[in-house]
Amino acid sequence: MNSTDKNSRAEQIEIDASAKWPVLIFFGSAIMWLLLGGALQLIASIQLHTPDFLSACAWTTYGRVAPAAQNALIYGWGMNAAFAFGLWLMARLSATTLRHGGWLFVAAKFWNVGVALGIAGILGGYSTSFELLEMPRYVTLILLVAYAMIGVWGVTTFSIRNTENVYASQWYLFGAAFWFPWLYAIGQIMLLKAPVRGVLQPVVNAWFVHGLYGLWFVPIALASAYYFLPKILGKPIANYYLAPLAFWWLVGATAFAGGSRLIGAPVPIWISTLGGAANFLLVVPVVVIALNFFGTLAGNIAAIGSSITIRFTLISMIGFVLASVLNFALSIRGFAQIVQFTLLTDLRDWLIFYGCFSTAMFGAAYFILPRLTGLQWRSSALVTAHVGTAVLGVLLLTVGLAYAGWTQGKMLNDAAIPFGDITKAMTFWFTFRSVGLGLLLIGHVAFLINFIWIACPINSRGTPSAQFSNPPDLKLSNESVTEGHA
Amino acid sequence: MKNGLALFLGVFATLALSWAGLLLTAHKQLGSLSQFKDPVEETLNPLPLSGLADQGRLVYQDLGCVSCHTQQVRHEGFGADIERKWGQRASYARDYIREKTVLIGHSRLGPDLRNVGVRLGDTASRDEYAEWFYSLLYAPQSKAAGTNMPSYAFLFDVHPTAGRQASYDALKLTSKFAPPAGYEVVPTARARALVAYLQSLKDTYDYPTERSLNTPAEISKEGAH
Repeated sequence: MNSTDKNSRAEQIEIDASAKWPVLIFFGSAIMWLLLGGALQLIASIQLHTPDFLSACAWTTYGRVAPAAQNALIYGWGMNAAFAFGLWLMARLSATTLRHGGWLFVAAKFWNVGVALGIAGILGGYSTSFELLEMPRYVTLILLVAYAMIGVWGVTTFSIRNTENVYASQWYLFGAAFWFPWLYAIGQIMLLKAPVRGVLQPVVNAWFVHGLYGLWFVPIALASAYYFLPKILGKPIANYYLAPLAFWWLVGATAFAGGSRLIGAPVPIWISTLGGAANFLLVVPVVVIALNFFGTLAGNIAAIGSSITIRFTLISMIGFVLASVLNFALSIRGFAQIVQFTLLTDLRDWLIFYGCFSTAMFGAAYFILPRLTGLQWRSSALVTAHVGTAVLGVLLLTVGLAYAGWTQGKMLNDAAIPFGDITKAMTFWFTFRSVGLGLLLIGHVAFLINFIWIACPINSRGTPSAQFSNPPDLKLSNESVTEGHA
Repeated sequence: MKNGLALFLGVFATLALSWAGLLLTAHKQLGSLSQFKDPVEETLNPLPLSGLADQGRLVYQDLGCVSCHTQQVRHEGFGADIERKWGQRASYARDYIREKTVLIGHSRLGPDLRNVGVRLGDTASRDEYAEWFYSLLYAPQSKAAGTNMPSYAFLFDVHPTAGRQASYDALKLTSKFAPPAGYEVVPTARARALVAYLQSLKDTYDYPTERSLNTPAEISKEGAH
């Protein structure tokens, strides 16, 4: 995919230099939000099994902390990380430098101020209560303007590309760059600015939520896998000729799948049926994408042990497949009848956002940051801790919440069981979730410490420089030369 | 793929089609649902929210009640909503046109609230309902032992009676939930609004039009009038 001669390497160094500060700012803000959101998420999770915990004050009541945590993670961590990764990758694949980084710096400030105001608004009692649009109306414009300044750079970088071909990662990035502002603006207009009537509101909300996950976070995660797998393994994507088909099929069907969240809801039945049908159609692109990824990985099992990025990419791919399977299952009416409104539906969204997207961003950060700063990750123990907690956390929470959600749904559907008994039966699983989220938070702290060492000029003095013939994130064993090429 | 323009048009079409196909079509179908006038009783349904209840809706939004509570009764045979007495019938789209913000919810960590305004049955008086809601909000364990619903004590004033007669709306709490001697618990304006909203949540009118649309074809409803 990329030639490895000296010219190309010099070009990459130039591109990386142009992207250094914007990417560092975005990743830095992202990690701050990851910790803050994670802490809020942990508080909310603890409140489910210890209801008196921080319940005395309106600012920290569960109904505010839970959406604040979700928004901090989605708009704080998720969006910032996606900006950092997306801009860098777009510049790399378009073989052009990222220009006017100063504007991106301003945009990053605006975006983060907007998110901070929004989170404070939710905690202070101005929540709109629409899922993932809880942030009060006064931040909408700030976020949209900030996004415009960021997204336009991604698109501009693409349109001045110096390459003949357009690679799969670029399709996904380019599409996502358009879909997010559109989804967000329509969500805001149809729900808050000029609200539609009655149950149309849940329809718009479901369309937005499904779109945000499926047309923003999933494409960014797939862009990362399409890039890092061949890059690090040094071989092209298996069955790449199927990738365009998978792209159009995936995004086309996902755009219509939002209604599947409304099975059994008081809306016309064609809405959930259409959503369900779209989710059934998604089987084909998911299989193709899995063939692309796992086919590329096949025969390179050793690489999993040697590259942190490959490990995170592998978790991300598994997360993608699991989330797709769950999405598919939740479109089946008999299954939805039991598990709708339970921890299992939360698990679907969590798997997309954390299992698939966030892990992809961790992998990307471990690859990108040493190349931008010229430094190595100082503590390989902390890197191992991050990978270890991510693997363990995703595994535990997936298995645990799937079982818990199923049990909860079974009990909800048995009218003979009083509601209080369901809560009692779930208390163990709420505690279990707190432990899982706490575990992930430990990994994120490890990530932050390493990030500070590599990104903060004052602290990075003791950090050894990176030589890309000996890639820094392959400290564990069995170093593969290919990762060193960029 | 090499053509940037084709990519752009495809990307545009993807979301444009779904927006038009899903949202605009649904809007065309449901956007002009109106109140239904009962031909016999000549009442308009659903009734709009009272002013206080509408303020309570804002409190409901602000406190994030939707994080744990749905407001949708699924139809008979699809879940146990009817059996759990969360409603006498499934919710219809028309039920929701009275609300400015429709929060049907996505999680049932707590019970469904669509008909919580009639949860205690027809025999309970309006004051008994209010008292029940206030106690539930102030000390959830007093009305639902073992629940993990947090206390909303911050919606209440706890102040000394200072020898005066107790306030008319002071909560009648007993045992461990009662305030210290000489103190009383009084709902604030926000608590009053929220409870007015919760009391307004009841879909007791059954629309003949919707009933026929939502009934499976094989079950004959002849003579139902």
